[in-house]
Amino acid sequence: MKLSFVALLLIVTVALAQEPAVKQTGVLRLRVKVKADDSLPLRGLARKRFFLIPGTLEQNRALVNAIEQQQLTTRDCYYKQHGASAELINWLKDGDCESVYCRSIEKDFVSGPKVVPEFASAFAVGQKEYRDDETALQWLTTNLNPDLRDGFYKDRQRALETLLKQGGLGMIQSVMTDRNGSAYFTDLGPGTYIISNVIPTELGQTLATWNCEVQVKYVATETPYTISNRKDKNVKCVAVEKPKPACD
Amino acid sequence: MLPSRNQSQLVTKTIVTIFIFLICVHSRSSAADYSKFSHSTQKHRAACNTCHKITFPDITDYPSHDACVSCHRPQFFRGAKPPICSVCHSKTSPRDEARYAFRKPPTQLQFAVEFPHDKHQDAIALLRFAHPPQNYNNCTICHASRSATFKAAPTDHSSCFNCHWKSQEPVAANCNGCHKLASAPYVPAESTRKSAKFVHEGGGEKKQHVAECTTCHINITKSSSLRGLKPDVPITACTECHNKVGAREDLNKELLAIDKNRSFTCVYCHAEKVGSLDPPASHYLIAERPPLKRKDIK
Repeated sequence: MKLSFVALLLIVTVALAQEPAVKQTGVLRLRVKVKADDSLPLRGLARKRFFLIPGTLEQNRALVNAIEQQQLTTRDCYYKQHGASAELINWLKDGDCESVYCRSIEKDFVSGPKVVPEFASAFAVGQKEYRDDETALQWLTTNLNPDLRDGFYKDRQRALETLLKQGGLGMIQSVMTDRNGSAYFTDLGPGTYIISNVIPTELGQTLATWNCEVQVKYVATETPYTISNRKDKNVKCVAVEKPKPACD
Repeated sequence: MLPSRNQSQLVTKTIVTIFIFLICVHSRSSAADYSKFSHSTQKHRAACNTCHKITFPDITDYPSHDACVSCHRPQFFRGAKPPICSVCHSKTSPRDEARYAFRKPPTQLQFAVEFPHDKHQDAIALLRFAHPPQNYNNCTICHASRSATFKAAPTDHSSCFNCHWKSQEPVAANCNGCHKLASAPYVPAESTRKSAKFVHEGGGEKKQHVAECTTCHINITKSSSLRGLKPDVPITACTECHNKVGAREDLNKELLAIDKNRSFTCVYCHAEKVGSLDPPASHYLIAERPPLKRKDIK
């Protein structure tokens, strides 16, 4: 009895003396470099969202196949199908914007030679509603047709949800690249992951898809994991490119 | 032995006195304090527009008298200085209309704001230096410079209503879309420098620190809520410029200084308290050296 009490006391003492386990996590530094066409230099792919999916390519075969086979409407086709004017499509293209929120809508685009008809109509509604030109301009997007305002973004979100809400997928992280094409995935457990853009990225006349298998260790990796749509000695994974489909 | 009649009377009197005392204390402590307003009170949990009339252009203000009088008529007209008036007014007098600046006390918040940075990063927040003539939307729409050190967070609705006035949910009338009642009133933590001495507007004459925010704040684009959001900045954000062999080697120099003197405090980047700790492994990794503890340096 006495012996077991002493043993128990010893176990408790040793357990209490242990330092609390420090949660070790890995970091993955992603760098995305692309060429929209061969006459241009490689540059960082700015402002694109990438996903980190736990497991190997084989374990996620169904998802990878679904990503590769999805039929998506390109940006220009989406806006054409929803009746956007050529001026609006050009305004979006000029800034490489996917929605009207990406750059401020200046006065030049509500009247005069550079007018975008959709902006002019929304501005006119705002003028009546707010009785103030400045507010009508600043709040212009609140009077735009929802399909043209954020319909493209919502369309993409629905496609993402359909793909990523399949059963059996683990905890998925996502980050957006900065203007140099860099991004970090943090707080990662060790193991194998897939880096994917899930929704193909429009690069000039092609659609690029990455599904790259990567190993993550407990130590922070300071060497970036570089992916591209062109082969290079530093590139760890090359995109699968397909020509952009024609608009229906 | 039975207690005497006097003893019984004494016990009864004592119990009655204690009972009366407890009733007095209880009634006093449970009396409502009308000088304090809480959104947590059951009857204050009605639809927001019961009291807050959404008026153009903003609604960060106290509701009108009707909002209070509709339920609190007796408290509203009690005495010369009704305590309920002090919720909004600086002087509790019917002849003085002066009000506290909204909100009172200025820092105490009853609601927490839900803000998904990830969605906003997807829809806005571009910064394309390659196209300087175009005015791209970016983080500065909401986060202007508060000082050279910190950026300001939005304090009113103006930066939200540009897009969320109507149609784009959560719209102006849907207060609960962004504002969630906190479990208790709280004072938001004031930003202070604990570790790095970084200055946003710095970076020499060329102000090279003025870069795209997400290059350094690496977790913003994946955060769907403000909860647990930290200003995560990896050391590589600094050493891309501050530790280039043949150019600036600010990190290498300080690690070498620790090699020579284990009490050396790293002050180039860090506040003194943090600079005297062991450099983390990430710093040695950048310098391509195995991590060291100060105590192991002879």
